[in-house]
Amino acid sequence: MNKPVPINAILDLSMTEVATAIRNGDVSSYAVTKAALDAFAMKDAALNSAIWLERESALETADACDKLRRAGKILGPLHGVPLAHKDMYYKAGKVSTCGSRIRKDFRPNYTATALARLEAAGSVTLGGLNMAEFAQNPTGHNQHFGHCRNPWNRDYCPGGSSSGSGAAVAARFVFGALGSDTGGSIRLPAAMCGITGIKGTQTRVSRHGVMPLAFSADNVGPLCRTARDCAVFLREIAGHDPKDPTSAMEPVPDYEAMLDGDIRGMPVGIPGNYFFDEIDAEVLAAFNAACKVLEARGAILVPVEIPHMDAVSTYGSIVSRVEGGAIHAEWMRTRPESYAVHLSARLYGSYGIPATHYIEALARRGPILRAIGKAVFDHVRVFLTPTLRTKVPTLLATDIDAGTPGAEKAFMDLSINTRPINYMGLPSVSVPCGFDSNGLPIGFQIQGRPFAEGTVLKVADAFQRDTDWHSRAPLLPT
Amino acid sequence: MERTISDVVEEQALIWSGVTPPNAPGVRLAQALEATVAGFAALRGELAFEDEPSSFEAALQAVKE
Repeated sequence: MNKPVPINAILDLSMTEVATAIRNGDVSSYAVTKAALDAFAMKDAALNSAIWLERESALETADACDKLRRAGKILGPLHGVPLAHKDMYYKAGKVSTCGSRIRKDFRPNYTATALARLEAAGSVTLGGLNMAEFAQNPTGHNQHFGHCRNPWNRDYCPGGSSSGSGAAVAARFVFGALGSDTGGSIRLPAAMCGITGIKGTQTRVSRHGVMPLAFSADNVGPLCRTARDCAVFLREIAGHDPKDPTSAMEPVPDYEAMLDGDIRGMPVGIPGNYFFDEIDAEVLAAFNAACKVLEARGAILVPVEIPHMDAVSTYGSIVSRVEGGAIHAEWMRTRPESYAVHLSARLYGSYGIPATHYIEALARRGPILRAIGKAVFDHVRVFLTPTLRTKVPTLLATDIDAGTPGAEKAFMDLSINTRPINYMGLPSVSVPCGFDSNGLPIGFQIQGRPFAEGTVLKVADAFQRDTDWHSRAPLLPT
Repeated sequence: MERTISDVVEEQALIWSGVTPPNAPGVRLAQALEATVAGFAALRGELAFEDEPSSFEAALQAVKE
């Protein structure tokens, strides 16, 4: 036993720090879990980040973790660490609302592999977090369970679709959370809430037991406060799963062991096209400052042109829309009134997109990725872009259901820098790099070759060694 | 009167999926597909015809670190 951790400091620890403290017996899992649940109870009325919590069963699990530890048994790297997850990870017999009215009573009879792996690694699941209805908006609006709010300012979007995951981690309610990312749904809330979030390479993490949005672009991944936390979290969930035959056979390295801070001589690409069109000046300034931090650490900044961006943008805009439309066709036909206005509005257009164009978009995905490999990754290890081109908008400015003028464009523009990365299938981590004049966070994203999750996390971790944006905490009303 | 893209979407959605316009924003977002159509039009002739089957998974492996 090292020095005990004061109860009021527990929730300020990172996930890896609290895991170490529990493992060493400096603090009990019970105390940590109780602190997390108490934080939800006292402060979440302001944020609405959780849809449901299971206090008693979580405390029982935490107590069991403490008994195991005292007996000398540690389940895994997340032993006794409380987590909560976007409410679309199925657990047998438990409600998984998917943020929707349609599935508000849905009880699957099987468990998501990602969730099962996290629990096998020792984590304590607290409950299901708020999310966009069926993971289909980038803002955090939810007409059925109430809008989730940004912990830095409640009037602003927390980002979506993993809105509760972003808000709860940023607010220090939990140490990490599963999100999902089909067009930016991990990276947007990470950027907008001032935390770190990674989507892996397409197929890197099993999607068994995860609500589908679009099969070609769905990704499972973590939102945590630091790149190191993401590395530990991702390692537990990545890797082939026989229950998801589309999951990659690629071995999973020890991502955390790759975080040595050494990026000296690493060529880092800065795109000259697409990602900076009509960008907000404050976002650009924060991005440029982030580049200088990496340069000072030894990275070599290299201008690059990402080829076929017109195609990536056009094709990427329809793949998930059409696949989502197919999944929801029956409900759109029989009970469209059960969806929020913005969601049925978004799904509706998909039924007019010709199948030939969808097939064209899919067929050209491989050749385009190969072209990007040659034009970009033959010259640089990673490339950087702002996660959003705009400052974080308010919930009102993006509220289609409320009829706000211009909301549809503001809503669709949020994912303009993230959605293309899903089409490319590349690993991408969003890292906080500043605050705008409204006091809302700014993030940038780091992309690498397929299966280079360790490399993008290494760059993110190197950046976080020289900055403290990721360790700043919002002040919440109690 | 010239037909708009939202007219076409309405027809296709009803014929193929039995789906009707859910609300006014739906019609507006359907109309916004004009930009997507323009995007596809701009790509005509820009990318070579592929003789071989395209596999995205194979491309991920080919480009990986």
